[in-house]
Amino acid sequence: MQTTTAPRGLGAVLRRDPTAPWRHLDWPLLGAALAVAGLSCLMVFSATRTSMADAGLDPYSYLKRQAVFLVLGLVATAAVVALDYRTYRDLAAVSFLVSLGLLVLVLTPLGKEVNSAQSWFELGSFQLQPAELAKLAVILLLATTCSSGRGPLTRQRFLVCVTATGLPAALVLLQPDMGSMLVLVAILLGVVVVAGARPRHLAALAAIGVLGVAAMFHFDQVDDYQRRRLTDFARSDGVAGASGFQGEQAETAIGAGGLFGAGLYEGTQTKLGFVPEQQTDFIFTVVGEELGFAGSASLLVLYGVIIWRIWRTALLARDTFGTLLCAGVLAMLLFQVFENMGMSMGIMPITGLPLPLLSYGGSSMVTTWAALGLVLNVHMRRFS
Amino acid sequence: MTTDTPRLRLGIVAVVALSLFAALFARLWFLQVLTAGEHELAAERNQRRVVPLAAPRGRILDRDGEILVANRASNVVLVDRAELNTLEDEEREEVLSRLGAIVDRPPSMLEVALGDTSLGPFAPVPVAEDVDEEVLIEVRERQGELPGVEARQLAVRAYPHGTLAAHILGYVGAINPDELEAAGGPDAPGGYRRASRVGKDGIERAFEDDLRGIDGEVVLEVDAKGVPIRELGRREPIQGDDVVLSIDLDTQQVAEQALAEGMVQTQDHVDPETGAPVIFGGSTVVLDVKEGTVAAMASWPTFSPADFVYEITPEQFAALTDPARGTPFVNRALLGLYAPGSTWKLVTALAGLEAGLITPETVLFDPGIFTIPDCSQRCTRTNAGSTPYKDVALRKALTVSSDVYFYDLGARFWQQRERLGETPMQDMATLLGFGAKTGVELPVEASGRLASPAVRAAQYQANPDAFLSGDWFIGDNVNVSIGQGDVAVTPIQLANAYATFATGGIRYQPNVALRTQDQDGTVIREIEPRVGAQVELPAGAREPILDGLVGATQSEDPKGTAYNAFADFPHEAYPVAGKTGTAQTGGGREDDALFAAFAPAHDPRYAISVVMERAGFGSTWAAPVARSVLGALSGLEEPERVRPVAGGSRA
Repeated sequence: MQTTTAPRGLGAVLRRDPTAPWRHLDWPLLGAALAVAGLSCLMVFSATRTSMADAGLDPYSYLKRQAVFLVLGLVATAAVVALDYRTYRDLAAVSFLVSLGLLVLVLTPLGKEVNSAQSWFELGSFQLQPAELAKLAVILLLATTCSSGRGPLTRQRFLVCVTATGLPAALVLLQPDMGSMLVLVAILLGVVVVAGARPRHLAALAAIGVLGVAAMFHFDQVDDYQRRRLTDFARSDGVAGASGFQGEQAETAIGAGGLFGAGLYEGTQTKLGFVPEQQTDFIFTVVGEELGFAGSASLLVLYGVIIWRIWRTALLARDTFGTLLCAGVLAMLLFQVFENMGMSMGIMPITGLPLPLLSYGGSSMVTTWAALGLVLNVHMRRFS
Repeated sequence: MTTDTPRLRLGIVAVVALSLFAALFARLWFLQVLTAGEHELAAERNQRRVVPLAAPRGRILDRDGEILVANRASNVVLVDRAELNTLEDEEREEVLSRLGAIVDRPPSMLEVALGDTSLGPFAPVPVAEDVDEEVLIEVRERQGELPGVEARQLAVRAYPHGTLAAHILGYVGAINPDELEAAGGPDAPGGYRRASRVGKDGIERAFEDDLRGIDGEVVLEVDAKGVPIRELGRREPIQGDDVVLSIDLDTQQVAEQALAEGMVQTQDHVDPETGAPVIFGGSTVVLDVKEGTVAAMASWPTFSPADFVYEITPEQFAALTDPARGTPFVNRALLGLYAPGSTWKLVTALAGLEAGLITPETVLFDPGIFTIPDCSQRCTRTNAGSTPYKDVALRKALTVSSDVYFYDLGARFWQQRERLGETPMQDMATLLGFGAKTGVELPVEASGRLASPAVRAAQYQANPDAFLSGDWFIGDNVNVSIGQGDVAVTPIQLANAYATFATGGIRYQPNVALRTQDQDGTVIREIEPRVGAQVELPAGAREPILDGLVGATQSEDPKGTAYNAFADFPHEAYPVAGKTGTAQTGGGREDDALFAAFAPAHDPRYAISVVMERAGFGSTWAAPVARSVLGALSGLEEPERVRPVAGGSRA
């Protein structure tokens, strides 16, 4: 059953071919992702309605935009799914170079600074975060590189992977966006571990990481606000600085939710603006405060389902490339979910990372859906 | 093996993912199930803020309901130093520069205000007072950028009559840590808060419990920036009670004006060392002898209680307590200590009659000079100007103020001490209220001093270097007989002693207030007269002494010491019984001028004392001030300008 990729109508496929990719769509994954994205619209609305209304603005405007982002994300998924994922190997180098170019461009005056990080392009009323695209490009390139030979990962290919991650990671760090940098590192780890990196290569990578962090601190290359985020996390004497306050209020919000939460739109921490950046990085606090343990545990289960289905797809993929694509996406989402929820609950330092599918924001939403598209693609073409 | 490798590695990934999810789940369980209660409390505290509503103080009214102290609204910007100082230096500077821009003051000025040490560390410091409404609103709107800054509308004291009765009214200021502690601390129910303002002196302090009212509070829901969202609850403050004084606005005005006019004309003093001008003060007290109240009380120089509406600067305070500027802050009527001079002769006369050393008709020949019997050094004393008054009995002795007549009494008291005891004059003085606080219903008052052999001995014992001897000599008795020596009285004691004689022996503890009432005028508390003592005066003493004192203001021949000062006074309708005094202050300095009186002489209503430091003769300076006040009280004279009297005498 070699590739038969002659164009055929969708209806014809469904009717005639039992091995057609559309018959093997991973419904649980899609369903779980849609459920989270649906909840996202509700939570973003809850987080923004009061402050928007107070400012005399349309309280629905964030909700509407997030809904648009979701639709764009679904379009992206459909686009990614339409072509056999194996054809994407040919795009890996190009997309990598394009995203690298964008990462350079965003540092020029063409980019826009928000919250003291030069991370955005402004496109009309929408903003594009090239670091999000870079994540996808790196997944693609790493999977391509690591699946292009047999046997354990050679040192040569390992070094290519490290370089391919290191370049965008360095550019992202210049913005500075430590969170995205860490996501790229997580992707690298996920792919090379599954690809069969040798333990000594991994040890060397770890050593580089440690040295790199030490050097950054030593040469004072860490911005004050980054340092504060890290050190405030480590401080437990109750003297909270600006970001310590953020974390404390986030924890309070989640804890105040209790078992069943204050009810939708009823969270006082949320309504009264005690938690900053609530529709984006701290969206989980809204879930925690308003929907309680019942709601946030359910959300955790949904993310569990997503991660499980991606893992399963990695296992079922018909080729190494497919497996590694899934491994990259899995590492990316797992790290973001853990880091974001972890910081909201005070067990991880605060970094500016969105919670996939839940945080407000177009770049993240579209990237995540595109990444899920890759996984769906691998899943449905596992027989073809 | 090779085919299983990806499976194995995906197994590692699965383990990692499961651990991470387990960690998240565990933390979620901890926060939302195990410790949810704490967080709920924290969230609750976050959104509630209790703002105290200070109760407006009660007003202070004169006896006819004329407002002496009221309240007005003032917009004030306050800074909580404790909160401000938790900020890092850089942030603190930013807050101050933002605030400076809003209230239009350089941050350096704000720092000066914040450096005020007169307030407790927790009392918010006012950095801008009487600001526009817009400033108030801007500070509130930008609360998030201004931690520790608060804009409030306060009810502050207003003084429609300016400095009038300043010493009686007192002032209000921020509570200090000691006062707060004394009232049971900041958490005592119904107590004070760190930001409370309390009466510091005068009526404001004496009637603090009536005036302060009951603070209210408002519970607000606030957002993360501290901006109020809505009100959750409110308890309205209850205004304090009004205090109705016994003071009469018109009498007070007349007394202050007469005193000030007199005092201004005596200001020619310079510091003997530097040659810089030095101000000496004076005071006058008018008592209502029927009511047992203070009708007027003035101390010059005075101050403006409005300066204390916010905190006064250290410079202002230094000026108010500077002796060279006459310590305007001190209420001389209650705290000034003076030798009474000849006004004391009332005491000596009563003591002589009581002891039976004289009768009203006993005549003594007064050659103008007196030689102390049994005396070894400095044994002669003279009348003022050595004037010989020839044949003198009690009435004339008081009218012309013959020193010799009283020297003789003083000497004889000592000679007959075996029979009379050592202190007949001091005992009589004590009956009239000297040497002890009068008990006037105001916070601080001096006791005065009565010299006596026992006191002298005790003083010597305590400090042998400061005195030549611990013994009491006959000359000491002679000095005391005319109100010199170590006798010191306060102006209110002097007035109260004359009032006690005037009433035939009822010595009141003077009240300053008649009642407290609510804002509608409903009486809350009547303040009853307080009789300090019912004094038994010597039988037959009243009439001759009254004659002598009336003679002092009316008699042309022999000429009363205050005759000139009371020239053209409506004596028929409103006779005045008075006594001048000119007290030596030692060291070649000018004398203190005194006058004490009551009127109408035969049915007394008012007693008055006037004391003017370093002014000169009592007849020249103090009597005209008293005349001006009594003239107004009589209702028969328009208050006229106080003029010193020519041809006065020392007596």
